[in-house]
Amino acid sequence: MRSLLIRIFVSFWSIIVITIIVAGALGYTYAERARVAIQNFEVSDAMLEASAALREAGRDGLTDWLRSLPGVTASLVYVLDDRGHDLLDRRLPPQLQIAIKRFSGPRFRRPPPPREFGNLRPARPFTQLIGPDDHVYTFFVLPPQGTVGRWLAERGGVGIAILALLISAGISYLLARAISQPIRRFRESAVAIADGNLDTRVADRVGRRRDEIGLLAQDFDRMANELQRSWMRQTELTRNVSHELRSPLARLRVALELARRKTGDLPEFDKIDAETGRLDELIGQILEFSRLDADTNEERTRINLDELIRPIVEDVRYEYAGNESRIALEADASAAVYGYPNALRSGVENVLRNAMQHSREDGEVHVRVDTKASQAVIAIADQGGGVAEDELERLFEPFYRSAKGGDDARTGSGLGLAIAARAVAMNDGSVAASNDAEGLCVEIRLPSAD
Amino acid sequence: MLSDKSRDAMNKPDAKILIIDDDRELGEMLKEFLAPDHFELSACLSGEDGLHALKEGDYELLILDIMLPGASGIDVLRELRQSSDIPVIMLTARGDDVDRILGLEFGADDYISKPFNPRELLARIKAILRRSGSGASRHHPVNVGAVELDTRSRRVTAGDEPIRLTGTEFELLRCLAESPGEVVSKEDLSRQALGRRYMPYDRSIDTHISNVRRKLADAGVVSPFIQSQRGVGYCLLVDDEVS
Repeated sequence: MRSLLIRIFVSFWSIIVITIIVAGALGYTYAERARVAIQNFEVSDAMLEASAALREAGRDGLTDWLRSLPGVTASLVYVLDDRGHDLLDRRLPPQLQIAIKRFSGPRFRRPPPPREFGNLRPARPFTQLIGPDDHVYTFFVLPPQGTVGRWLAERGGVGIAILALLISAGISYLLARAISQPIRRFRESAVAIADGNLDTRVADRVGRRRDEIGLLAQDFDRMANELQRSWMRQTELTRNVSHELRSPLARLRVALELARRKTGDLPEFDKIDAETGRLDELIGQILEFSRLDADTNEERTRINLDELIRPIVEDVRYEYAGNESRIALEADASAAVYGYPNALRSGVENVLRNAMQHSREDGEVHVRVDTKASQAVIAIADQGGGVAEDELERLFEPFYRSAKGGDDARTGSGLGLAIAARAVAMNDGSVAASNDAEGLCVEIRLPSAD
Repeated sequence: MLSDKSRDAMNKPDAKILIIDDDRELGEMLKEFLAPDHFELSACLSGEDGLHALKEGDYELLILDIMLPGASGIDVLRELRQSSDIPVIMLTARGDDVDRILGLEFGADDYISKPFNPRELLARIKAILRRSGSGASRHHPVNVGAVELDTRSRRVTAGDEPIRLTGTEFELLRCLAESPGEVVSKEDLSRQALGRRYMPYDRSIDTHISNVRRKLADAGVVSPFIQSQRGVGYCLLVDDEVS
């Protein structure tokens, strides 16, 4: 019973069904008691007692007797006087009024036929007692079943029970759906927003409601608005920072070349040029690092790791063409993941470049891709001697530099592995570093697509 | 627009170049930097001004900043390409692959990341201008499959239908057409068509090639067909080689 719809439906329905059963049982008990009471009345000495009471104390005695009848029976027995009034001044039920009207017609007013043999004496339809004061008291005992009860008895309980179940099921379902439907809409919208469709809104989808759900929808949409605005601000800021930081650098480089021309080549100029380039690279990496969070424009797709990594390896090979370090790629062609290709590409590229920077001059960097137990593993191992054990964790912190990095400290931005860690995390994966015999090995683990 | 100093040094500029960039100071310095090489640089600060200036003046090359206030460089490029085949070098922010690829798809000939080394910019300007000016060296028409390349007028026709290629796209197709059936490496393509070394992480060759492919397909050309050899380069297949 995980679905809210089913849970609410079952709750509502059970409550309704229980109510029906209890009500039915109560009604049945009551009717049964009434039936028994009437039966008892008819076979009891009640009429004798009434007659005795009437004889001893007249009308008042009869009234007291009527009052003294036990519970249910009292409400079923009516005693009317000559003028048709109940002794206890109760309103007469409609069916009783009809019966009285019928039997008090002229036919019953005629004087009784003479007491002669063979004459017909029509039976009195109701039990009557003659009081000492000559008044006639008529007794009525109402039948135990009304029209509804008779219909019930004819149709049988089963049909009624099925009908009640169906109707209550329908009502319960509608009720349950009215509650669970908007929640499902909310969920769909939340998922859409998490997937990067920041312009998803929910208020129109749950209809114009003014209850709590309607209010929740409005609040949800306000939250989505804020999210979208803040995302746009961050993207805007990233672009502006990029532009504003790079414009002076661009001018600096042109000015530098102009200076070189006017004063001749100085070794310092090359230095300035190189540092400008480094600054540019650093800005690029910082932006890349901050953009990994904000960049939800990309869509998750199925990524074949071999196809993703091969071009990266080629690029890095090309970049380090002067270096003796070689890259060996060993890839399981079927390894695939679901994720953001650009982020993942950037992650792998940064790990690989880091390995190239730290590998021995004539060393080799091994890139291995395979699938192990529903995980795709990208392992990149260099031959650079590794780092101290207690540094392994910290390698992925921004701007952390290994103590062993030494003169390497001047190369790279210090953000490469931090970018990699964030890019991998975005793809629901994990990254870890370990030392092996030759050097550092960085393993990227991602949930496999198959 | 020409500064006095360069006017004294030069008799006549080799080429008039327009730069559209909202950085006024950068434009001024580039003007000074390019002058000794006989390039006359004019600067416009916005895309609207730039498009206007291009209609008025006879420029041979456009340097276009993608990050422009108002209409972006991409918008300018798109509008420009409807009427003009002038070579375009984009200035992009480093790492902004989307802008770069979009720019190349809309027909930019090359790009350079800002902040660039001005000597690199100069080299690219020269490469592009040399290419577009020197078709005369071997001006025989090249026929491959259903396509004819006129290296002098730099026109491509399929049957009688002209196919509009940018300068870089034309050069790429010409490089491939010179040795049909053989794989040409990205490095060679870069050197010959872009006039520069192949750079790692640079997908411009691939983007240009896919533009050529699309334009050939739009013109209904089945042969020649550009096949990619993963990790190596591209190869032009003609007729029976197309499976």
